[in-house]
Amino acid sequence: MFDIIGKRRYLYIFSLILTIPGLVLILLTPFTDLGLQFSIDYTGGTRWVIRFEDRDVTPEQVKSVFTEAGLASTVIPEANDYLEIRTEQVVGLREGPAATPTPAPGASASPAASASPAASASPTPTPAPSASASPGSSPAPSEPPAIPPVGNSEIPTDGQLGQIAATLQDRFGPIESQTALTSIGGVVSNDLIRDTIILIAVGSLGIMLWMTYRFRDIRFGATALVSLLHDVLVVVGLFALLGTIAGIQIDALFVTAMLTVIGFSVHDTIVVYDRVRENRARHAGEPFDEIVNHSILQTVGRSITTSMTVVITLLALLLFGGAAINNFLIALIIGIVSGTYSSIFVAAPLLVDWHLWEDRRHGRMAASRGPRVRRATP
Amino acid sequence: MRRAGPLLIIAIGLIALFIDFFPNAAVPGGDPDAGGWRQLETKLGLDLEGGLRVEYLAQAVDGQSPDAAALGVIRDIVEDRVNSTGVSEPVVQTQGADRIVVELPGVTNPDQIRRLVGQTGRVDFVPLGSTQMTEGQAIDLEQFPPLFPGSEVSSVNIGQDQTGGLTVNFQLKEEGARLFADYTRDNVGNYFAIVLDGNVISAPVINSSIPNGQVQIEAGGIGGFPIEDARNLVNVIKFGSLPFPIVELSAEQISATLGEQFLYQSLLAGAIGIGLVMLFMLVYYRLPGLIASFALVYYGIVVLAIFRLIPVTLTLAGIAGFVLSVGMAVDANILIFERMKEELRAGKSLPAAVEAGFNRAWNSILDSNVSSLITATILYLFGTSVIRGFALVLIIGVLVSMFSAIVVTRTIMRVIVRQDWARKASLFGLREGEFAAQGATRPAGRREARARV
Repeated sequence: MFDIIGKRRYLYIFSLILTIPGLVLILLTPFTDLGLQFSIDYTGGTRWVIRFEDRDVTPEQVKSVFTEAGLASTVIPEANDYLEIRTEQVVGLREGPAATPTPAPGASASPAASASPAASASPTPTPAPSASASPGSSPAPSEPPAIPPVGNSEIPTDGQLGQIAATLQDRFGPIESQTALTSIGGVVSNDLIRDTIILIAVGSLGIMLWMTYRFRDIRFGATALVSLLHDVLVVVGLFALLGTIAGIQIDALFVTAMLTVIGFSVHDTIVVYDRVRENRARHAGEPFDEIVNHSILQTVGRSITTSMTVVITLLALLLFGGAAINNFLIALIIGIVSGTYSSIFVAAPLLVDWHLWEDRRHGRMAASRGPRVRRATP
Repeated sequence: MRRAGPLLIIAIGLIALFIDFFPNAAVPGGDPDAGGWRQLETKLGLDLEGGLRVEYLAQAVDGQSPDAAALGVIRDIVEDRVNSTGVSEPVVQTQGADRIVVELPGVTNPDQIRRLVGQTGRVDFVPLGSTQMTEGQAIDLEQFPPLFPGSEVSSVNIGQDQTGGLTVNFQLKEEGARLFADYTRDNVGNYFAIVLDGNVISAPVINSSIPNGQVQIEAGGIGGFPIEDARNLVNVIKFGSLPFPIVELSAEQISATLGEQFLYQSLLAGAIGIGLVMLFMLVYYRLPGLIASFALVYYGIVVLAIFRLIPVTLTLAGIAGFVLSVGMAVDANILIFERMKEELRAGKSLPAAVEAGFNRAWNSILDSNVSSLITATILYLFGTSVIRGFALVLIIGVLVSMFSAIVVTRTIMRVIVRQDWARKASLFGLREGEFAAQGATRPAGRREARARV
């Protein structure tokens, strides 16, 4: 019989090697440029994807226009000659009107008071609008026609981004199409970082409580929690690495991926633990480590198969779907693979160690290491 | 359940098919204006349909934050403003304590709409005396104190003068009407201004005394107001004043062509993924795999029906959630079939192994699905709208998958294992030897005897 539990020291070392570099990069994030790179969902800013009629306009040319406007930007060429422009300054939002208090209109403001000869002689508007008492039953025309769109009206015209768009079109010719324009203010973003951490914590804790309740044993819940955090660390660490070396950013969907991973990666742990519980009842008296090892071997096939079917579907989306949610899919795939790994090679061995430790503490070593009686099992 | 099971499954399947594919099917509960029926449709998110999404923050004024009622008022005003632009199917929702989210699929003039929606709009009616002012001119409200605010207007619409030119007509409430009557009586030939946030929107000359609060503004030229101007003026007067100013927190614009491309690609990718999973199930589990694949199709039909009923807005992430839930639905079947194989190898008869497979795997399946539901529910409760969409898809997917992977598969399996043709090791991906127990519990003679009947 293949002995997985007996080699658990190496497995722990392997998991540490797997998670520690990522953890270091994650911890470096707040202090350096290394580590996780946050998208504008978190930092606030503007992302704009456009294509000029003149396909030879370079990222540098576009960037220079932003620099002239006093904006630090990143311009990346995308598929089909599109250019993706990112800036952490918010240029695509309408300025909020300054909350200027207007004088309360008093009923005492008599018409006579305003009839003073004011100096502000203004040019006469033509045609001059006029007001008159309207006939009470003035028929309103039935639903007037909708305003027709004019030109390529999706390109911004308002605000700073409107000015930049105008400058770009002056210099490099018309912008042929714009696939996406996203602007996010800082208020949204601050919420998001805090929410992400809270959601991951609450999700993990919820799973731990559920496992503890179902198995009536804190050890099952706690080791499942450790293996969950292992998976979270693997995925976040990978993205910290990808962010450091390739500038890949994490966006608002990342928290979704993490919670999905948390909910899903525990599936395999449950299958193993369920079998451990069953085997423990069936083969009472056998050493716990052997029961767990046996349970792992019995279920490892289906653990891999169940994860594989999910990974197949996600891989199909990754390969054939649009590129928009690729990072989300990669996070899910890595998390699910890591979840299967950690169920077998982290959660179960930890469960054994905890068990043995308690046995030693209660001085029941002798009992559990006594002569092994094996029942006839098929 | 054993008797009612098949009927229930067929009934649910038929209802779902009807909801999915019957054209123009509708359910009660829609807009009362549309007769109280809502047309069933698959709703697509902005990332799949293209369009504009803007999130607004209602700002506190003098340290006072908007309450739920005020936020509702803002929502209504914003919705009116959006509707006045003629955009189809706008969605305007409140979110949290102080957010308004506007979603407009397929708009082509986002700047124009954002300009209109974002106006804070404090509207005042200002007597100007003999001073003439032009549109857009800033006005000093210290120098020209307003007569009454925009809230004194009870209704406003576009009208026509005798020559058919467009006019803007509005009706004043009691107080406003009285003040206006006093002013216009003394100031025929003088001017008054409609002022939005300190800027003159319109400054007509007073043609006659207006005693009853029924006011008509004419453009003065031939043909009256151009339609856009008339509408703008109506909108300013009607929806001018928000109780709290709103500012844009985020804005997202996605082109319709890109959305369409994403939709097509992700549906194709989803189909490929699900197809591969079915293929795997068939090759690996044979007859049970075929049944699981059927259950998967059934699952898809039911989930789509629920999406259309609720309705759930499908986004890119939502499609990923759906595909993911397909993977989970299959997982339950894998656990069951693996257990079944084990029981068969241990010498149980086919029907007994099927029952044991379902019963023994149930614990793991329940625990797994509850785990997924826990995290999906957290996402749904606390996430932003895109995340909520994904979470809802996942929740529906997990619940329906429990039904399809367990109830549907089990019912069909029960029927099939009673058939003689089904009792073959190869149909279950087992070797003949592993299936030998079958012969021991059921004598060959009896099997043949039944076959002859």
